[in-house]
Amino acid sequence: MIEARDVSVDIAGKPIVSGVDFHARPGEIAAIVGPNGSGKTTFLKALSGELAYTGRIALNGRDLCAMKPVETAVHRAVLPQATTLSFPFTVREVVKLGLVGGRSGALPGEDARLPERALARVDLDGFAGRFYQELSGGEQQRVQLARVLCQVWAPVLDGKPRYLFLDEPVSSLDIKHQLIIMNIARDFARRGGGVVAILHDLNLTAMYADRIFVMHRGRLAATGSPQDVLSDDLIEKVFDCRLRVGVLPAGNMPFVLPQSAA
Amino acid sequence: MVDQLIACPVMARVSEGDRSGRARIVILLLCLGLAAAVFLSLTSGASDASAVTVIGGYLFGTVPDDAALSARDSLIVYDIRLPRIILGMLVGAALAVSGAVMQGLFRNPLADPGLIGVSAGSSLGAVAVIVLGATILAPVTAVLGTLALPLAAFCGGLATTLVLYQVATRRGQTSVATMLLAGIALAALAMALTGILIFMADDRQLRDLTFWQLGSLGGATWAKIASVGPIIVTALAAMPFLARGLNALALGEATAGHLGIPVQRLKYTAIIGVSAAVGASVAVSGGIGFVGIVVPHLLRLLIGPDNRYLLPASALLGASLLLLADAVARTIVAPAELPIGIVTAIAGAPFFLWILLRKRGVIDL
Repeated sequence: MIEARDVSVDIAGKPIVSGVDFHARPGEIAAIVGPNGSGKTTFLKALSGELAYTGRIALNGRDLCAMKPVETAVHRAVLPQATTLSFPFTVREVVKLGLVGGRSGALPGEDARLPERALARVDLDGFAGRFYQELSGGEQQRVQLARVLCQVWAPVLDGKPRYLFLDEPVSSLDIKHQLIIMNIARDFARRGGGVVAILHDLNLTAMYADRIFVMHRGRLAATGSPQDVLSDDLIEKVFDCRLRVGVLPAGNMPFVLPQSAA
Repeated sequence: MVDQLIACPVMARVSEGDRSGRARIVILLLCLGLAAAVFLSLTSGASDASAVTVIGGYLFGTVPDDAALSARDSLIVYDIRLPRIILGMLVGAALAVSGAVMQGLFRNPLADPGLIGVSAGSSLGAVAVIVLGATILAPVTAVLGTLALPLAAFCGGLATTLVLYQVATRRGQTSVATMLLAGIALAALAMALTGILIFMADDRQLRDLTFWQLGSLGGATWAKIASVGPIIVTALAAMPFLARGLNALALGEATAGHLGIPVQRLKYTAIIGVSAAVGASVAVSGGIGFVGIVVPHLLRLLIGPDNRYLLPASALLGASLLLLADAVARTIVAPAELPIGIVTAIAGAPFFLWILLRKRGVIDL
């Protein structure tokens, strides 16, 4: 369980996140949505221990402030929006960096094969020998996800749930790979882990999230299940956009929803 | 392991993208290369002294025909060539590993202690001790003895690196342009201050300084090895412990932290280690440039950027290359000798330009 109480973050004297209450339970995908600049990434950075905050964050019952990097790395793995690399590492070498903490939770002797298995899961079979810097943005994002998966390969370790923090994991992906990645997240949660994901696509959010946290101007605007949260009023208030939930386009205008995936 | 790679192609395919096997082979070959370089250095020089005879005499007790000649040869091999070789290996390894660590720390393949002013800062510290050691700094040199010079060079290098890091790094991202330009500014400042000291120096100090600044292993003695050897060996021994952290740092400081690396501690250990190794090298051999950029770059092309292999391989190749450069410096204008810094610069500067040409458009300045 991850619990955040009254968390605020200031950057250069400006309040970016103010008084956010948040929780992520094992077995669930918690989605954070909101317009650009609403403080989603900043809040996730506070949650991952990267930024100083006021308030209280507990990771599996322990105060985040009192944990060392090597300890937090056991409990959660973080996928940033984009990762540039300063040296020509191969894809396999990048994915293997996920094992640097040494607590993947895989069976003894399995660690050596994890990079290949993680790459296969993100649909990058056969990419191990390629150079990371030569891949497309979407492929790089999936390599990073494979690295993150290696870090917390077992969703539960020593009887405690582990967490995936995903910052816009599908932003640069085509629809097929959006579904693959979101299914990996759902699978991770079903096997006892927890997922915290920043998402922009409200349809994907409705389809996968167990609980939605809507952020608006640094504050929490709403929280609850997709059915409770995604309403015409809320979307107009938060996104400043007159949209209506569940209305089919007029005439024969085509539309494609991820929910229709077989 | 060699057999595995050759005899088992299936295995090689399974671990595609894994260059650790190749790295181990390269390290093995580099060990042999270093042994060859040591042998070459031991047996070549302005004098015709035969190292083979001397070592043979030592190992097998064979007595050469001419005892006087044998004593002279023995002196040349043990007291001139051997300390010079050991010092050359220490300095070469220190400079190459420092370059590799600094490049990992700044997340940038162009970082080099010589290019970004760290060596200039070390020089300033060393020159201060040489020129002022008998006057203003007399109490310091009296207490520290032969350690004063390497310590002063260490402090100069440390101060420069810390300032550089503060200036060039914002939120864990180092700007290449800022780093190189700040390095130029810091080097100019250090050189100006060094200039003031040189202005104050007397004739004898002046001659020492000029030769020393060009870089030379010429003054190698067992005493010098005793004073800087422990510093360099300690710094070199500490660096492999940074390898995994530096690998993770290639993903950025935040991500390295997410992976469980104590990033702040890593950075400061690296900065102190590099300053100590560069400071000690500068103190004994002056400004020997380009080793720190050429060696890691060549090795990255061969074995990839994994610091677990890159750091030891850099130490081996740096030591070998410096011995070869020194052999050239000693013999090309024999019986006089060229400062080794000139040799490394003549070979290294065009190489650096070649890197820039290759990376044009890839590195974002």
